[in-house]
Amino acid sequence: MRHYEIVFLVHPDQSEQVPAMIERYRGMISAGGGTVHRLEDWGRRQLTFPISKVHKAHYVLLNVETDQKTLEELTGAFRFSDAVLRHLVVNMDEAVTEPSPMAKAAQEEKEGGPRVRRDDVGFGGDDDDMGVNA
Amino acid sequence: MRDEKPRRSGPGGGGNRSFSRRRKFCRFTAEGVKQIDYKDLATLKQYITETGKIVPSRITGTKAFYQRQLSSAIKRARYLALLPYTDQH
Repeated sequence: MRHYEIVFLVHPDQSEQVPAMIERYRGMISAGGGTVHRLEDWGRRQLTFPISKVHKAHYVLLNVETDQKTLEELTGAFRFSDAVLRHLVVNMDEAVTEPSPMAKAAQEEKEGGPRVRRDDVGFGGDDDDMGVNA
Repeated sequence: MRDEKPRRSGPGGGGNRSFSRRRKFCRFTAEGVKQIDYKDLATLKQYITETGKIVPSRITGTKAFYQRQLSSAIKRARYLALLPYTDQH
């Protein structure tokens, strides 16, 4: 059993099928004796570049602990599903359960809380604020 | 070793020598980041140029250990269309 992080992108026209897909994949994982440690639905997001002529996609994040055989089944399912535009599987060292930066940002937006702080990092060039003034 | 006076690191560069620059530092080392997350777009966006290129560590001062992580994190984010490969999409 290993830990994996899976992200997959669903075609926006198939967006309403996402809950059913998640249930199906969850069923596959538990049938193989694995567990789902984190499940996030980031919803429909703008893509930074079009993939197969669509500009938006529904993102789903899964952190799972499963064996190799089930993972192969899962990636096979992604590949043969026309609704899945793209998928990424990353090996992880341990189970991750706290919300990802994406989910946090979505949460804050919903609460109308503080906007995500973007503190500026000075890259060479323009930061001469410690200059020789005085 | 840790002198307070800001100075340019490395030779070359030319320019006005009387100009003193802010010392660059590795933000990930300073914050003790365990693993750079490809989903943390706010952080990753600070390390790409307007054209979408990865900013070299010699500019940002990122330590090699973190620059390697950063580069793979940015590439993962690009694959998922979270970050652009270029501005010409």
